[in-house]
Amino acid sequence: MKNKLAKIYIAAIITLIYLPAAFMIVLSFKSGANISFPIERFTLDWYIKPPAGEYAAYLSLFHDRQVFQALQNSIIVSMIVAILSMLLVTTTALALRRRIAGRDLLFYLFLLGFLTPGVAVGLGLNFLFSFLNWEFSVWSAALINVVYAVPFGLILMMARFNPDLVFYEQAASALKASPFRTFRKITLPLIIYEVISAAILGFLLSWGEVIRTQFALKGIGTLSTFINVQLGVNPLTPKWYAAGTVVSIVSFAGLAVFAYLLSKTTR
Amino acid sequence: MYIQRYGKYLLLLPGIIVTGFFLVVPVILIVVVSFMQYFTMKSPTLTLQNYIDFITSPQTPTILANTFGMSIAASLLTLLVGYPAAYFLAFRIESVKTRNYIISLLLVPFLIDWNARTIAWIPILGEYGAVNYILQILNITREPVPLLFSRWTLLIIWLQTNILFMIFPIYLALIRIDPDLINAARVLKAPPSKVFFNIIFKLSLPGVAVGFTFVLVNTLGDYITPALWAGGIQVLGLSIASFAANFVWPYAATLSTVLVLIAMAVLFILFKLVDIKKLVE
Repeated sequence: MKNKLAKIYIAAIITLIYLPAAFMIVLSFKSGANISFPIERFTLDWYIKPPAGEYAAYLSLFHDRQVFQALQNSIIVSMIVAILSMLLVTTTALALRRRIAGRDLLFYLFLLGFLTPGVAVGLGLNFLFSFLNWEFSVWSAALINVVYAVPFGLILMMARFNPDLVFYEQAASALKASPFRTFRKITLPLIIYEVISAAILGFLLSWGEVIRTQFALKGIGTLSTFINVQLGVNPLTPKWYAAGTVVSIVSFAGLAVFAYLLSKTTR
Repeated sequence: MYIQRYGKYLLLLPGIIVTGFFLVVPVILIVVVSFMQYFTMKSPTLTLQNYIDFITSPQTPTILANTFGMSIAASLLTLLVGYPAAYFLAFRIESVKTRNYIISLLLVPFLIDWNARTIAWIPILGEYGAVNYILQILNITREPVPLLFSRWTLLIIWLQTNILFMIFPIYLALIRIDPDLINAARVLKAPPSKVFFNIIFKLSLPGVAVGFTFVLVNTLGDYITPALWAGGIQVLGLSIASFAANFVWPYAATLSTVLVLIAMAVLFILFKLVDIKKLVE
């Protein structure tokens, strides 16, 4: 009885989380421009219909060039974030493991990366770049997201460190293994899941981030910031649901490939 | 020898450089610029006028109440809904495989584009959305009920977008509880409510604090969702963004400083009450 309640509750939570996704997919196949029920006819128009005009809200997804530029930006930014946060999380977590001076202070400093509201960090970065006369690029957009993603990976990795890891490492260096060899042969295989999780977290967090990216990348932006701007200036049509569906499918596919590689390399 | 001794500090360097340049310096600049009359780096005129303007503005109390009221309400609601889910996941689902399966299932919707996730509520709660359609078919109402554009919509959307950030840390804290502690209490005939509140809930507090913090910070910084869905309620982040877009940078900096300061104060109190480092040690 108790377990049944638990299962029903978890099923309800999953339904709540999936509800918008389900509606997004259904609406993307809806005929006509308005967002309303009931749906009379399902169509692929919003995906592939050849362009009949220039008006962005009524241009089908695959004929909108700006969408592809934004998608390209999204992929570049998120890949940089994934690689950099993986490296930073690993080095920082390994360093903070030891009882070094200022450990707590540093831990809180890194936590500030996600504790500070994005709008404040973004505005401050605008001041800094204007002061230095620097231009915003995919790198600035990536790095502001790295600072946001690192604490997530850090908590994940530090929470799951094997307590015996230090002893294995000591054993290796007692046997005269170089620090690099110790890392490659002992440490890395034991934390490889956390290392890859940090990369995935970085990718996903920056993929969906709007506010920080909007402040640190000018022009067309990433797909999320692009759609956000479009929603403000154009009427809402099923096209944006189609855009959301395609973005989601791309990221599912990416994650699936990643998971497959992961299961191969750890054997 | 030196590498042995200072190597651990060397490892910290990349993290510190990136965090310094993309977080610490921007935040310091926010505070500095908030005291400027005009945005300039060459001998700026420093003034307290921005803060005086902020305190004396008739909109200020409403904005602050909206910003922090809605965020705290969303965090509490998410905790209330998320805690049982984390609890059931940790104690009622025995197979580790099923648990991991459910966790990945919870993760998947976060791959969905943030905007699409938000606009997807229009066909659900909108005037011509599914809920209103069903209500009219069942003859419960004749006219569409306005469900969108209220504070409740905002809370539901925030619940949906943030609940994973609440479930996950609580779940991590719960699975770290030594089962012997719970069994010992049961053997000693502690009533279930006591087992829960004195042992399980107490030991899961670091997870609760982290989850609460996640949601609070996410919602405090999110001005786009309130702008779209809460019937135009004014929040601090929205004011910052509009002043920043109009290049009224010193005043935007003042508002940002206030936002950061209040957020930090709330977090400081929370971390004083609960030792969150227990979760990572």
